[in-house]
Amino acid sequence: MKLSNFISASAFKLTAVAISAVALFAYSEKMAERNPRKDRVHVTYWEGWTAFEFEAMAAIVADFNRSQDRIQVDILSESDAVNKTMMSISAGLPPDVAGLGNPDIAHFVDDHALMPLDDFCKEKGINRSQYTPIFWDMGVYQGHVWSLPSVPASTALFYNPSMFSQVGLKPDAYPKTIEELDALDVKLSKLDGEGRIKQIGFLPSEPGWWTWAFGYYFGGKLIDADGNLTVNSKENIRGFDWVASFSKRHGSDAVQSFKQGLGNFSSPQNAFMAQQVVMEMQGVWMYNFIHTFNPSLSWRVVPFPHPADRPDMANVTMVEENNLTIPRGAKHPREAFEFIAFVQQQKEMEKLCCGQLKFSPLSKVTPEFYQKNPNPSAKFFYELSGSPNSVPAPKVGYWQEFQSELSATIDSITLLSRTPKEALDHLQERMKPKVESYRQRVEQRRRLGL
Amino acid sequence: MKVRRILATMGKHTLLVVLSILFAFPFVWLISTPLKPDAEVMRNPPVWIPSHFQFDNFWKAMNFEGDKLGYIPFLVYGRNTVVLCLLTVLGLVISNALVAYGFAKFRFPGRNLFFILTLATMMIPFPVLMVPTFSLFRAMDWVGTYRPLWVPAWFGSGFSIFLLRQFFKTIPNELSEAARIDGASEFAIFFEVVLPLCKPALAVVALFGFMGTWNDFLGPLIYLLDQKQFTLGLGLQAFQSQHGGTPFSLQMAATSIVILPVVILFIFMQRLLVQGIAVTGIK
Amino acid sequence: MNARREAMYGYLFTLPWMIGMSVFMLYPVVASCWYSFCDYSVLKPPMWIGLANYQELFQDEVFWQATRNTLVFAMLSLPLSTVVALALAVLLNGKVRGQSVYRALFFMPSLVPVVPVAVLWFWLFNGDHGIINVMLHSMHIPTVNWMSNPAYTKWAIVVLTVWGGGNTMLIYLAGLQDVPTSLLEASELDGASGAQRFRHVTVPMISPVILFNVVMGLIGSLQVFAVPYVLWPTGSPERSAYFYAMYLFDNAFKFNKMGYACAMGVLMFLMILVLTLALLKVGERKVHYQDGG
Repeated sequence: MKLSNFISASAFKLTAVAISAVALFAYSEKMAERNPRKDRVHVTYWEGWTAFEFEAMAAIVADFNRSQDRIQVDILSESDAVNKTMMSISAGLPPDVAGLGNPDIAHFVDDHALMPLDDFCKEKGINRSQYTPIFWDMGVYQGHVWSLPSVPASTALFYNPSMFSQVGLKPDAYPKTIEELDALDVKLSKLDGEGRIKQIGFLPSEPGWWTWAFGYYFGGKLIDADGNLTVNSKENIRGFDWVASFSKRHGSDAVQSFKQGLGNFSSPQNAFMAQQVVMEMQGVWMYNFIHTFNPSLSWRVVPFPHPADRPDMANVTMVEENNLTIPRGAKHPREAFEFIAFVQQQKEMEKLCCGQLKFSPLSKVTPEFYQKNPNPSAKFFYELSGSPNSVPAPKVGYWQEFQSELSATIDSITLLSRTPKEALDHLQERMKPKVESYRQRVEQRRRLGL
Repeated sequence: MKVRRILATMGKHTLLVVLSILFAFPFVWLISTPLKPDAEVMRNPPVWIPSHFQFDNFWKAMNFEGDKLGYIPFLVYGRNTVVLCLLTVLGLVISNALVAYGFAKFRFPGRNLFFILTLATMMIPFPVLMVPTFSLFRAMDWVGTYRPLWVPAWFGSGFSIFLLRQFFKTIPNELSEAARIDGASEFAIFFEVVLPLCKPALAVVALFGFMGTWNDFLGPLIYLLDQKQFTLGLGLQAFQSQHGGTPFSLQMAATSIVILPVVILFIFMQRLLVQGIAVTGIK
Repeated sequence: MNARREAMYGYLFTLPWMIGMSVFMLYPVVASCWYSFCDYSVLKPPMWIGLANYQELFQDEVFWQATRNTLVFAMLSLPLSTVVALALAVLLNGKVRGQSVYRALFFMPSLVPVVPVAVLWFWLFNGDHGIINVMLHSMHIPTVNWMSNPAYTKWAIVVLTVWGGGNTMLIYLAGLQDVPTSLLEASELDGASGAQRFRHVTVPMISPVILFNVVMGLIGSLQVFAVPYVLWPTGSPERSAYFYAMYLFDNAFKFNKMGYACAMGVLMFLMILVLTLALLKVGERKVHYQDGG
């Protein structure tokens, strides 16, 4: 082969490679591109919901986009929304509106990740008096407003009356006290021929979403009003002793293998829907799942029972809220707030909450709201959320880490590898220095103005 | 002697068959789960062959707009992943070949130290690089794009450089000397004389690169923000953790869809791959 | 070609990697060291806090637990996957009927991306319904809760890792093809049994390949992340499946303690360095290099 052929052949191949590389590169850039329309201000909005909950919000977004011609909100469903949002804020590419759960607000604020909304609220005349106080307060941290509610929720005890009848109980013989709940659990649990659990009355770890909360039913608190940890208080130990009693009663291994055999929450094999669990702690959203997966299921919802010796602990409910926030570094904060304020209007809020089959966080509702709302338990949950014993997750910046510690603690309690007292003493001891150094550094940064 | 040999062969085959079953049964279960009617999925004793085949689950897993539950756009993710893989593989092959050739065929001051450093980079765990690299790409405004995932590949990787350098060492210098005397430039020698001899070795680098990118989870988890940009691996995780979980039969359908292309690719490249690894001679 | 020209070409050809290594390897390592002495989350500028991160780490029992988990996992999975991969390679070496089918079968698992692997095995290991327990049960072997019993979670990942060790097998296979058949035949004539031949001829001949695989396997298993992260995002039950890289990731991106995460990274690097050097030291004595390769 001649030299000139050498060169031209290699030049040809190189050019081909270069062209394909450039083409691929261009294509990959196009794939990552956002915001196609230029005629309006585009506000991006990330939300962790999927399915009908997402669609209910998408309908409000559509209303907003129709209501004016200046701003276009683009709503996106993100899985793992909290972490993704934090990363995008770190990367300087945040969405303009981010949907966050109330427990995440504090750590986002401590990390300088959110914009305060006080001035915007004042401008639009939005204030605490328009809301059920607890749902406004969830967005307030260190004296500033950081978020406004989208939809609230509260929890209670769901049970299956027809399964009560099967064992000769009256369908309305639901437990009013923890002790009654225990007795019912014994009565309603069944084994199969091989000694495996086939059906269980109640299991604190099913669905296991509020593992941190059990002390609260017994009057305990994880963190007191001054921000001190009270993990191993007498009441908390009592609460977790109660949790451990289920592993003792049914056998820890048997419970584990029963739990693994349960189907996914969002499926017809859901433990409550498949009638494997008779009583379950659940929230206002449960109606939707029952309606979707087993509409003929017999169910009722009642306040969670209280210890017999603590009548003052009646109507304890875990309250939660989805919030709308504006991340720091958002490109269009003013327009983003336009949208957030739009959601707060009574008409839109009721439409949203109706669509999500929940109740409204606003203090006033139209008389038709509960008639229009397909969820027959919406009003019950609304009233429960006003209970003096409604419990939101503590507002602390180290909540994520605390929760991960708590879940390891609960593991050892339900597996009976530690007594609740040991486990909680240990947790208290372990979290204390962490909390201390967390507060110290926040303080130090404040002083240095970093 | 002969009897012993026959016995040995029989023993070998029995062992191989048993091991094959152990290695293959997860795949059989994987394919059979989504084909079953719902009632048979959780049945005990297990149903290996469905009473009647249903292909709905595959369709549901791929079809993203039609379904209310908001499943994952697998076709979009597939495209994202393929483009990303191609970009990475192209970069890996070109740059590593160049660099490895430089190490293998030219003497220059500092070469040994540089090469030892290269080997040392193989020991740096990814988590160590994670935070500073994130800050770096953040400063460059690259987070949320595909660039953090493929650009580094164009600047070489320790493992591939090592692999290819070993191979280049085995190529006799006479060939390039002859071309050099003909007046060919060093780059022409590299592209026209040396590279064509290296196809098996390059195939190994390409395949390992492809698998690495196809299987990568942590990189996309950190750098891709917008759900529409996700890769298959990440999308599948989102699929799994979607609100209370997705039914197993759908998860398995999605999983089969993700695995299929790589398996086909391997079946085609098998021979080349074993050859390639043999010639690169890792030692 | 004169030396200067040669050196110039040498630099030219290795230029991409010089840049790549400095920007994507050396700089991050140096920066990691620096951040490890700071309180740092990307949103806030780094604030120097001296050795506080390290002090906290040494008192952090989760750090120790994650380290212990990771080392235990490496100690279980490394020998097991080495033995299995080597055994498969030996079985498949030479003339075997159906060789390519077997080869494909054993290699296939390592082609599957980690997330699908995890999802698939979650389903296989799942309580009483998981096919593994169903099979064990039918053979009257006692079953265990693979996913929720702290004593077995690590074994679950070990099984998964051994299953996915196909590319190690492939590298062994390639190494075995280099063992000269003349040597094996000679020793067979001398009356050596199959096991003896393997022990005295094959193993010494492929010892460099073994060393290479073990070192890479060690580095890989100390970084184990994706499979346990998908199976047990929080490392529960009782953090028995919480590994070093997971805790590091959580600190960096969940708890936003990036300085702390960097300190963990630095320690991990040191750990890998020490273990690898120790392995190489042992290897030096045991490994037989052909022609000093």
